[in-house]
Amino acid sequence: MKQFGTIFQFELVSYFKNKVFVGVTIFLVVVIAGIMFFPNVKNLIEGRDANAAGESETAPEGTGADEAEAGEITGALLLFVPEEYRQDAKGIQDAFQSSFPEYEVLLTEDETEQIKEKVMEGDAECAFVLEGMDAYTYYVNNLPMYDANTEIVDEVLQNMYRVNAMVNGGMTAEEAQEALSVEIRHETESLGKDQMKNFLYTYIMIFALYMVILLYGQMVATNVATEKSSRAMELLITSAKPVSMMFGKVLASCLAGFVQLLVVFGSSILFYNINKAQWEGNGIVASIFDMPLNLLVYMLIFFVLGFFVYAFMFGAIGSTASKVEDINTSVMPVTLLFIAGFLVVMMSMSSGNVDSLLMRICSYVPFVSPMAMFTRIAMSTVPLYEIVISIAVLMVSVAGIGIISAKIYRVGVLLYGTTPKMGSILKAIRKA
Amino acid sequence: MRLELKNIWKSFGEKEVLKGNSFSAESGKAFGLLGRNGAGKTTTIRILMDVFSADQGEVRIDGNPIDYTKIKIGYLPEERGLYPKKKIIDQLVYFARLHGMKRIDAVKAIDYWLDRLEMAEYKNKRLDTLSKGNQQKIQLVTALAHDPQIVILDEPFSGLDPVNAMLLKDVVKEEIEKGKIVLFSSHQMNYIEEFCDSIAILNKGNIVLQGNIYEIKHNYVRDKLIVRSEEADAIVKDLGSCCRKRSAQELLIQMAGAEEKQNMMKRLTEAYDIDEIKIFEPSLNDIFVEYAGDQD
Repeated sequence: MKQFGTIFQFELVSYFKNKVFVGVTIFLVVVIAGIMFFPNVKNLIEGRDANAAGESETAPEGTGADEAEAGEITGALLLFVPEEYRQDAKGIQDAFQSSFPEYEVLLTEDETEQIKEKVMEGDAECAFVLEGMDAYTYYVNNLPMYDANTEIVDEVLQNMYRVNAMVNGGMTAEEAQEALSVEIRHETESLGKDQMKNFLYTYIMIFALYMVILLYGQMVATNVATEKSSRAMELLITSAKPVSMMFGKVLASCLAGFVQLLVVFGSSILFYNINKAQWEGNGIVASIFDMPLNLLVYMLIFFVLGFFVYAFMFGAIGSTASKVEDINTSVMPVTLLFIAGFLVVMMSMSSGNVDSLLMRICSYVPFVSPMAMFTRIAMSTVPLYEIVISIAVLMVSVAGIGIISAKIYRVGVLLYGTTPKMGSILKAIRKA
Repeated sequence: MRLELKNIWKSFGEKEVLKGNSFSAESGKAFGLLGRNGAGKTTTIRILMDVFSADQGEVRIDGNPIDYTKIKIGYLPEERGLYPKKKIIDQLVYFARLHGMKRIDAVKAIDYWLDRLEMAEYKNKRLDTLSKGNQQKIQLVTALAHDPQIVILDEPFSGLDPVNAMLLKDVVKEEIEKGKIVLFSSHQMNYIEEFCDSIAILNKGNIVLQGNIYEIKHNYVRDKLIVRSEEADAIVKDLGSCCRKRSAQELLIQMAGAEEKQNMMKRLTEAYDIDEIKIFEPSLNDIFVEYAGDQD
């Protein structure tokens, strides 16, 4: 026990003295600070620019919509109305103009060929050639990926068509307009979890879980292999019990990873709260920081248990490699297993159904359950007993994997030369 | 204090590495564990240090099974290596603490040893900035700092310059004088002869020879003559196959028995011009080659 403490302390201090570890942590905190303080900085700079230009007196604090209406006409929109509807042309033009505030809507009586030419030469941004009140052709030079113009026009024409029909049926234009533009008020109240709101922070947490487990797990493997290849192991193995060595290392890297998570998440929350006023309007960011506290507790539990499962395996694998270079290939199967679990969870998350049969099964399989069960807790409503079973299975697995890994470790650290085959390791374990 | 290994058997898989070996070593004396590469020395040391247990047999201290919580062992492995990227003082303290020392005592002891080995100036350097010989001296500190009762030194002199070798010799002598059991493993027989009272030679997992070096040498059958003569070639022709040339003028003559000595000496000195004739006394090196070599 005393040895374990010494090893744990030594390994932990090594992490905190490691320049990469400290560097990455500081880098992440700085990036998060940059993002969180961005609106402040932006306001500061813009405010200064405005002052410099001397425009501050003429109310630069106008709302976004005003500014767009005020003078952001980006080009001309040509509108061709067929002869039989010419008497309504003005009305159609007005309707278009109010739907396309960014364009100057111009009526034209040119031939189609001329209209096309104008669009191609850039005299007009685009053109709508109506063939009737229910058919038109849209001409545009380069069709952008997200072009909603046809949808807008569809709606405009549909609306006009309906109003006309209703007026012909005996309603006044006002009545018709009112009937069409009635607004329905609605409220949604999610009695379980709101996937819209919790998708983002679940995503971030799963990703953090994934990164930390993989990163620190690999670090455990590399650490062990380094001790072996530098032959410090020769001395270590005669100075300490393999079990203390293994557990000391795994727990130290677990705590190091946990501290890093804590610093990164903690500083994010801190910075967010400092700048809360600036972010209030931003639904996405607000939804991230709206995570419930009990979810953080679950994250902690699943992080620790999931970390142990993988770190023990990584440690055992590290002990069987004789050179640090061998590590990358040796850890591949475990890494793939983990990535496969990650993909299953990610896919279920984006499909919106986190309670699929696959996910239910995964939430009891120890290699995947930390991510799968956590996702289900975050995005769906899981009965408490399922959570308890999942955690219990995970705990038992951690103990089992820990014991087996310690045995592999005991045997592995003294083997040099080629990486031993799985069979010979198993044989050695049975004897140990 | 008396360290005893009794009837130690160990096999890895099909391969029997140690086949029922016993030997004992006493405090205040150095013991040489000899053998060729792969003879089972490291396995013996690891069993002694409880890295793994023997299939059969036991390690005893003064007749009782060894208690590793009370008996401290210092070890300088043949394959040297510590943490190359870490500060020397940090890792030395780490190993001393693994051996059960308190931090404050560890620092004190390490300061003493760094000073004793003329390494104090490197205390705060990283290990990989040191030369190989100096790294070895640092490693020696890990074997001695916790003041162990048993010190195991595997090839301690390899890679040291003569000045450092001298320094290490003094340190080893001090440790022996302090009443520790020093276990030596080396292929440099001159050092073994210098320090060790007793030796054991391992060959393919068996101890083929053990005992006090002086007695081993003295009891060595005195049935060989060394002859130096200008007429060496003629003697070879005369005596035939029992005669082997050691150099141009020096011959090693195998006699039928130790009692032949006088007859043979007389015969040779009368017949030839002999510069020197004497009974052959083997060096430890000769004994090692004879016992540790292939004996089929």
